[in-house]
Amino acid sequence: MFLHSIRWRLQLWHGLILLLVLAGFGFTAHRLQHLNELRRVDQELDHRVNVLLGEIRQGPPDRRPPGEGGRPLTMDEGRPPGGPRRGPEGGGPPRRQAFRLAQEHTDLFAGTDSNAFYYVIWRRDGDEMSRSSNAPPSIAQPKRGESGQPQRTIRSHGEFREAFHFTPPGECVVVGRSLQPEFARLHQLALRLSGLGAIVLGLGLAGGWWLASRAIRPIDDISAAASRIATGDLSHRISTGEADNELGQLASVLNSTFSRLEAAFAQQARFTADASHELRTPLSVILSQSQMALARERPAAEYRETLEACQRAAQRMRRLMESLLELARLDAGQEAMKKLPFDLARLTGEVVDLLRPLAEARKVTLRSNLATAEGLGDSERLAQVITNLVSNAIYHHRPGGEVNITTRRDEAGVTLIVADNGPGISPDHLPHIFDRFYRADTARTTSHGHTGLGLAISKAIVEAHAGTIEVESSPGAGARFTVRLPAGAGADSSHKSETPPGGPGANSRQADDGAK
Amino acid sequence: MRILIVEDEPDLLHGLAKALREEGYAVDTAADGDDGLYKAETWSYDAIVLDVMLPKLDGWQLLARLRKSKKTPVLLLTARDGSRDRVRGLDIGADDYVVKPFDLAELLARLRALIRRTSNQTSAVLEIGAVRIDTASRKVALAGSSVELTAREYGLVEFLALHRGEVVTRTTLYEHLFDEDDSTLSNLLDVHVSNVRKKLGHDFIVTRRGHGYSIEG
Repeated sequence: MFLHSIRWRLQLWHGLILLLVLAGFGFTAHRLQHLNELRRVDQELDHRVNVLLGEIRQGPPDRRPPGEGGRPLTMDEGRPPGGPRRGPEGGGPPRRQAFRLAQEHTDLFAGTDSNAFYYVIWRRDGDEMSRSSNAPPSIAQPKRGESGQPQRTIRSHGEFREAFHFTPPGECVVVGRSLQPEFARLHQLALRLSGLGAIVLGLGLAGGWWLASRAIRPIDDISAAASRIATGDLSHRISTGEADNELGQLASVLNSTFSRLEAAFAQQARFTADASHELRTPLSVILSQSQMALARERPAAEYRETLEACQRAAQRMRRLMESLLELARLDAGQEAMKKLPFDLARLTGEVVDLLRPLAEARKVTLRSNLATAEGLGDSERLAQVITNLVSNAIYHHRPGGEVNITTRRDEAGVTLIVADNGPGISPDHLPHIFDRFYRADTARTTSHGHTGLGLAISKAIVEAHAGTIEVESSPGAGARFTVRLPAGAGADSSHKSETPPGGPGANSRQADDGAK
Repeated sequence: MRILIVEDEPDLLHGLAKALREEGYAVDTAADGDDGLYKAETWSYDAIVLDVMLPKLDGWQLLARLRKSKKTPVLLLTARDGSRDRVRGLDIGADDYVVKPFDLAELLARLRALIRRTSNQTSAVLEIGAVRIDTASRKVALAGSSVELTAREYGLVEFLALHRGEVVTRTTLYEHLFDEDDSTLSNLLDVHVSNVRKKLGHDFIVTRRGHGYSIEG
């Protein structure tokens, strides 16, 4: 339904308002013109009534005493001096006085066309005293008003406009004119106004449509771009040519949203690709080993070798799956970190003890400087972080190296520092070291079974505790990992001790992790 | 045929090496890019199976550097099946690729095809006079009846047959038939030649004194 279209609704309202304005304007203009015309006609009528009244007072021009034309009117004007005219109230039978218009005024009532004025004069008794030749026959004598005072009244009847006046003696003067010319002019005006209005309305509608289209076009663009993005073309962007208006701002907001969406998708895609890549190699081992073993009969020892290789590959896949699942859970924030008191020093001490055999095997010395540092958190997860950092330091070290592990507590919270004097990390790799599946070496360092997710998981755990993990390193000068956990409610830890922090049971899992 | 496998996952490396040896190839192995490049530049392999993700020097770099000096056919093992990666590998100079995880049979077939292509053979079956060599099943028949050859003997026949009409030096034969772990005495080659002659006829392999051996096309 087109009424649901914004453009059509805009157009409809716009058209409606324009129509109302035009109609109001046209009606007012027409009305004003109408009143103007009437006033003009009324003035003319007035003037003529006055002339006629003057004539009536003076009597027919042939009987008029000479030199008395300018005599002022008096109340008894119906009976001029010399009294040839006598009103009905005068003594004796009233002489039927005729009325004749003075010569100089005849042209006021001349003509027979529609804009000619006419007059009719009645005597008090209702007889017609005089009538202009062009007066229409159907004029009714107006009724005298109750007040009886001399008054002037304007009336319209039919196409005629008439002014009538009762003189005190009782004559009734009616001057009229057909309004046909005015009506015709007004009709003309109405036609012109309507025509003009129609043109303006048309122009207005066209302009409105154009404006609405222009206003809507960016929305169309945005909608088209959004649908392309919805269908999977994430690299598409809305063109923000005129970025100044509201839609331009909307477009740039949407564009930045799309960019972040694309980045998130790309990251996810890369992560998935990396994960699948990591799974492909152990799968290749299982496939090729088993296919080779099945190709012919073999001695038992060879089958055993094959099975061991398959088992190693499967274990590697299992570790990877577990790490992936753990990351996914941490990402989803599903597993809330426990908020239990722990002592970072005790936790670290336990991890260091577990890793000491590994360090000895690789001829790396572990030195720890552990000051009591109590905080609130998930000791099992934090032990995982410590294990990861310390075992990384051991694995990436050269024989004879040292790893220093420090814990301390200050107002800000608790801090763990794992520093080694090993080969360090090159500046190229340093910014990516916490990225998932990022390896400083392109090798799958399968020799010690790292999944490439250890530091990413550590980071996720620390961040779930609202803490930070940082690394400083320069090649040849070793690497230094610093974990800071906020004090948070750490001060309360001394009052609560519901559960002992990560006991030996909790650490059995870390031992597994350490072997990764 | 001598093959180099460059792969950093030890189980995969050993498994592949074992499988190829069972197919009668002489196999050298390298566990990182540096070692792989050194071996590839030093010896004339009939083919190289090259993993892309390697420590020290990755497969792309190894291939790019190898191509400056050698045209050894290279089969890439890639864990990424994105076509861009495959195109990149082929453009750098790989001759074929296999995506992990792969079927061993497919890898072996591609390797055979690769070696066949480099010696301008189109068919898996080579016929030289009355001798018929099926490189796919590694079977040799003389005048329609099957002849049993040892793996080494078959390797010698196949190599000479793929280079028929050419004189192949003893050094070349050593390079292509024995891997770095074989501690063979030089007269062992003569033993193999003599055994093949007994089975396929004395004139099948011609001796060029001072030069080497050849099979006349």
